[in-house]
Amino acid sequence: MTSLDSVLLEILGNKLRAATEEMGHALQRTGRTLYVKETADFGTALADLDGHFFAYPRAIGVSGFIDLDCGPTLRAISDLEPGDVIITNHPYASEGLATHAPDAHLLKPYFHEGELVCFGWSFVHLSDVGGRVPSSISPTNHELYQEGLFIPPMKLMRDGEWNEDVLSFIRANCRTPNENIGDLKAMIAALNVGERRVSAIIERHGIEAFCTVRSDLQEYAEIKSRDVLRRIGDGTYHFVDYMDDDLVSEYPIRLEVTMTARDGEIHLDFTGTDPQVEAAFNIPTNGKRHAWLTVRMIALIMTLDPTTPMNAGMFRPISVTVPKGTVLNPVAPAAVGVRHATAVRVNDLLNGVLGKALPDVMPAASGGAMVPVVLAADDPASGATHVAVVEPMVGGSGARKGADGVDGRDSSISNLANNPIETVESQIAVSILEYGIRPDSGGAGKWRGGVGVRLKFRIEAETGRILGRGMERFRFRPWGVFGGEPGAPMRVILNEGTPDAVDTGRIDMLSVKRGDTLTVLMPGGGGYGDPLERPEELVLADVASGFLSEETARGSYGVVISEGRVDSAATHDTRDAMHLDRPSTARNFDPGSNRDAWDAAISNDMVARLNEALMDHGASSRSRRRRVFYAETLPDLSGSEGTFTSALSDPDAIKARARKALEALSH
Amino acid sequence: MNESTATARYRVGVDVGGTFTDFVLADQVGQRLVYHKQPSVPLDPSEAVLEGLRVLIEREKIDPGDIGLIVHGTTLALNTTIQRKGARAALVVSQGNRDVLEIARCRMPNSYDFRAGKEEPLVPRSRVLELPARLSATGEVVSRPNEAALDDTAARIRALDVEAVAVLLINAPMNAAFEREVVASLQDRLPHVDVTASTTIWSEIREYERGIAATLNATIQPLMSDYLSRLEDKLTEYGIAAPIYVTTSNGGTLSIATARARPIETMLSGPAAGVAAATHIASTGEGEGDGLLGVLSFDMGGTSSDIAISMGGEPGYTNHTHVGDLPLMMPVVDVSAIGAGGGSIVWTDAQGVLKVGPNSAGADPGPISYGRGGTAPTVTDCYLTLGIIDPDRFLGGNQKLDRASAETALREVADRLGITGEDRAARAAEAALLVTSTSMASEMLKALAQKGVDAGELTLMPFGGAGPTHAFMLAEEVEVKNVIVPPAAGTFCALGALTADVKRDFVRSFRRPFADGNGDGDVWEAFTALEQEAMDFIVGEGDILGHHYLQHSAEIRYVGQGFDLSVTVPREVALERDSAKVAEHFHMAHEKTYGFRDTESGLEITTLRVRAVGEVPKLVMPKLAEGKAVPESSGTRSVFVKGVLADVPVYRRDDLGAGHRIAGPFLIDQSDTTVFAMPGWTAVADRNGNLIATRTDRNGATK
Repeated sequence: MTSLDSVLLEILGNKLRAATEEMGHALQRTGRTLYVKETADFGTALADLDGHFFAYPRAIGVSGFIDLDCGPTLRAISDLEPGDVIITNHPYASEGLATHAPDAHLLKPYFHEGELVCFGWSFVHLSDVGGRVPSSISPTNHELYQEGLFIPPMKLMRDGEWNEDVLSFIRANCRTPNENIGDLKAMIAALNVGERRVSAIIERHGIEAFCTVRSDLQEYAEIKSRDVLRRIGDGTYHFVDYMDDDLVSEYPIRLEVTMTARDGEIHLDFTGTDPQVEAAFNIPTNGKRHAWLTVRMIALIMTLDPTTPMNAGMFRPISVTVPKGTVLNPVAPAAVGVRHATAVRVNDLLNGVLGKALPDVMPAASGGAMVPVVLAADDPASGATHVAVVEPMVGGSGARKGADGVDGRDSSISNLANNPIETVESQIAVSILEYGIRPDSGGAGKWRGGVGVRLKFRIEAETGRILGRGMERFRFRPWGVFGGEPGAPMRVILNEGTPDAVDTGRIDMLSVKRGDTLTVLMPGGGGYGDPLERPEELVLADVASGFLSEETARGSYGVVISEGRVDSAATHDTRDAMHLDRPSTARNFDPGSNRDAWDAAISNDMVARLNEALMDHGASSRSRRRRVFYAETLPDLSGSEGTFTSALSDPDAIKARARKALEALSH
Repeated sequence: MNESTATARYRVGVDVGGTFTDFVLADQVGQRLVYHKQPSVPLDPSEAVLEGLRVLIEREKIDPGDIGLIVHGTTLALNTTIQRKGARAALVVSQGNRDVLEIARCRMPNSYDFRAGKEEPLVPRSRVLELPARLSATGEVVSRPNEAALDDTAARIRALDVEAVAVLLINAPMNAAFEREVVASLQDRLPHVDVTASTTIWSEIREYERGIAATLNATIQPLMSDYLSRLEDKLTEYGIAAPIYVTTSNGGTLSIATARARPIETMLSGPAAGVAAATHIASTGEGEGDGLLGVLSFDMGGTSSDIAISMGGEPGYTNHTHVGDLPLMMPVVDVSAIGAGGGSIVWTDAQGVLKVGPNSAGADPGPISYGRGGTAPTVTDCYLTLGIIDPDRFLGGNQKLDRASAETALREVADRLGITGEDRAARAAEAALLVTSTSMASEMLKALAQKGVDAGELTLMPFGGAGPTHAFMLAEEVEVKNVIVPPAAGTFCALGALTADVKRDFVRSFRRPFADGNGDGDVWEAFTALEQEAMDFIVGEGDILGHHYLQHSAEIRYVGQGFDLSVTVPREVALERDSAKVAEHFHMAHEKTYGFRDTESGLEITTLRVRAVGEVPKLVMPKLAEGKAVPESSGTRSVFVKGVLADVPVYRRDDLGAGHRIAGPFLIDQSDTTVFAMPGWTAVADRNGNLIATRTDRNGATK
């Protein structure tokens, strides 16, 4: 297979991966902030001379960044010497190595007898890098300059000495200078550990073996990956998913992919995806294959062959087309702070298109939203505002062929731990009234979608604001497959159970006062297979444990339960009647009624023509022109949720208005 | 101190494992240790304990009445937990917290595998009941259950037909009396089932972890209590009146009465006892000075290998670990898994790349060469193929091995690897062991990195059935200071049991500013309460104990910091109630790890800890007779080492006297393991029978 002895390949593969993990442990042990210590929002790896990772940790730090490319950052610096360290957090100047301002990426060249042999890499999500809001991230930022201090690739260290000019800039532009410097030091410690380990490996096995393994490991991963991807039958597959809106307008963000497979070669064409938005949801990929576009591929490959070495080679069979000026390839200075929320939907998009090719392997959609519920509590005594995450909230996972989705867990894009109630209450001015599962939220199916999480808390501060970064799936529910129903949509309720109760919908910032309660209901995962085929005893068990209500058992599954028992005769009759009542062929894809209404009024063909027309205009004006188009096409679509389907109730009229608006746009 | 224990001639350490129950009999007068392995009886482990004792007593011709102490290690708690075979339990929680076990910490065990599921909750949702009983974060009662609510909850519990009940109230560590009050009210209504308060098991904030601790204890307790009673009865009947102690996860022991009430303390006692033995040997042998600097214990068994680090004669501890897929929030000896064991399977993937593990043939069916139905070659089959272990004398000849079948299987591996030649089976075996060693070494370096320790400061001490066989191969990959092979590696945990003191940890979560000039009266008050609790415990722990003492520590952070640092509070500082000195220790610890101290921010204290230690009278370690400069070998064995077949001298452990010096390569056949030293190493036997080996050829053939 490769030019290295296969035993040496295994040995060096283990050693190099362990070296990157050791770097991670060094970083975590000496890191200064919660992002490093608890959330583990950091990374370490070894990159080859082109800037591709050939060794990456399996079990520490952020798992999804394997497909980042350090190449452009490295090429921006011409005179690399031993002891130098490069820093950047600039999404455009690094061509997508950094993908938002708080992520500081460091690269250190490693030398052997004067020759450059590879690079150590580390990144940390810094607590704050300045900008319009504390923590630097807000969905309503619309240009990069609001998001903080940006550092194009430059030297943070020269010959082992700090570049004090760079440090001064960082200190002067951040709300948390000491924490940032502490975390930068931990990153340097990690890079130094990697340097020592690489040097020991070269001393032991020789420079030739090292240089060979740098590429052989990637080739090995490529071969394994291609073997997995060959299971995708040759052909073309298509999928579309939506984000609810871009927060600054009412109009959904469309993500589209066409996947072409040929003998293990996969091409992902994102043409048809909406133009970049005037909010911070853009993902700066620079139009190339990118970690945020391929993260679902890692799970696919690792599920089907867990022995695949994790390095850039696993993505070599994959190529992409991402039109410039779209939300997946924005043009500077589009804001990018909350690219994470879009990445969650890209993950659904890839899951969906892969599911068409591998229906037995891929699950239904998971909850599709990751929401750190943040309270900014005012302290009238000091005038200070205390900002903290109450809980990071997730939905349920999608059901799989042969297994229900996982209840109250969703690791599809990150696998964060929650905060104990007792810790939260001792640090944040809230009382946690309920923290549990959300019954009836899992999409019905032969295999049920996982239920989402429910959180209800009371504000104990005089005044404050709730920030809801990443709230999604209010409109477009997590889809079910092969007869499975969609999961319940997200809901947020202020003062639930009182006469003043109000469904807030998606929150950017919500003012609250002492005694207010907020209930956050996360979406459930989609179901898989016909719910009428779910065995009665499983439905009964779900009701007995409180995952399902008796009403849903009857309404969605046709299982009649009374006094804790299945009424077999009634169940039989109900299931028969439901069978007769439904269309002859089961839906392979069920995204719920809002999406159905949207698709009926706004056809793929029309969006294709709209996006094509928008592409003729400058990237910066596309978003505005798109808003104009939709305002003319969907005049009834305004702020309140109830009007969504009614605004779409006359597809013919909408189509007529759209044709006119499109013509106007083309002139 | 009980005269009869201190002066009794014999003590016995017993460690129950899945396959064997190990015994170490210490003869305090004869200054010798006697070892024995007895096949375990999984259905009733106490039978193997009694049987083994009977064999030892008869073989050594001793009077059962001369046994003054029995220290027992059991895996009952661990097995019950892993297999979820504990008593049927209900969990009572505060209103709004019913899903504490469903949500857990919200993480998936494996984020790459979308076929993965989550852990099975310890108690199903249908047996978790909410009660309007709630405290605020500062311990004020927010809701107190009325009689009707308590009656209703009791009635629902009765209907669930459970054998145990645990109660977990939110913020209970801030007001443990309130939780105890609720428990008492429920206990009154449920006289036939034990009701456990979370704070009596572990009074630290983090409701999920505390709830797991309480529920685990409640579900294991009936089984452990039955088992220990059965054991006690059997021994009494046989004429053994010695007090029984049980080993614990923190490397200590507890009286049988405490172990009965708090079986959770025994959860990870097996590995902890091994580390305790390694620590003891290193700090009492001739390598005393070395041992005190740092010991890297290396336990290689059938399915996996573990390491732990002891510094300054004290094992490293961690306050958070896992038992299978459940968290354990208690101080335990910090043991890290580093990969393969003797049963790990050697295989090649579709691309023809050699792999070892993670699948294991375990003890059953075991390696191919066991001839018990194993079909895949294992690490043990590699030792055999290379000639490292003797097929007729493996485990003292108790397990005959079939070398031909191991070689056949490894020849097939060689063919898939493209290795050719007559000796290709041996070459494949050597490659597999190299993959094993390098992977273990990498995991070991990671574990050291997490603790900020350098391997060069450490003595590698191997034990377990395969530890001494593999230790030198591992030491070729990680540059440790030296290797010490203790005398009886196969019964090491039983020895560890005998060397351990009584130890129990007490905790109190306590979040407030610290050392801010206000005297910290309430902090020291809380310490006083913990000290009282610890003293009440230790004086009730039996009259075998000699000197006893308390160790204090605290977790402290800078205000606004997101994590704590654990700080040892020296005895005199604790006695003087000197907050400023505690603060200075914190600043120093912070400076050591993070390179600076923050003099601007105030301090916040979050957790107080007190450990009670009761010393068990010291074990007299045996002395070896002086040996001649060069011992006689019992013959040679042909071993394939570093690509060539060599005649390697074989020694018997019993033939080695103090001061004996042997140069590698050599083999030592023991009844419980085989020691294999690579070329380039020289070993000297010390007066306690330890082999202290150093690398005499640093630029040996490995480079």
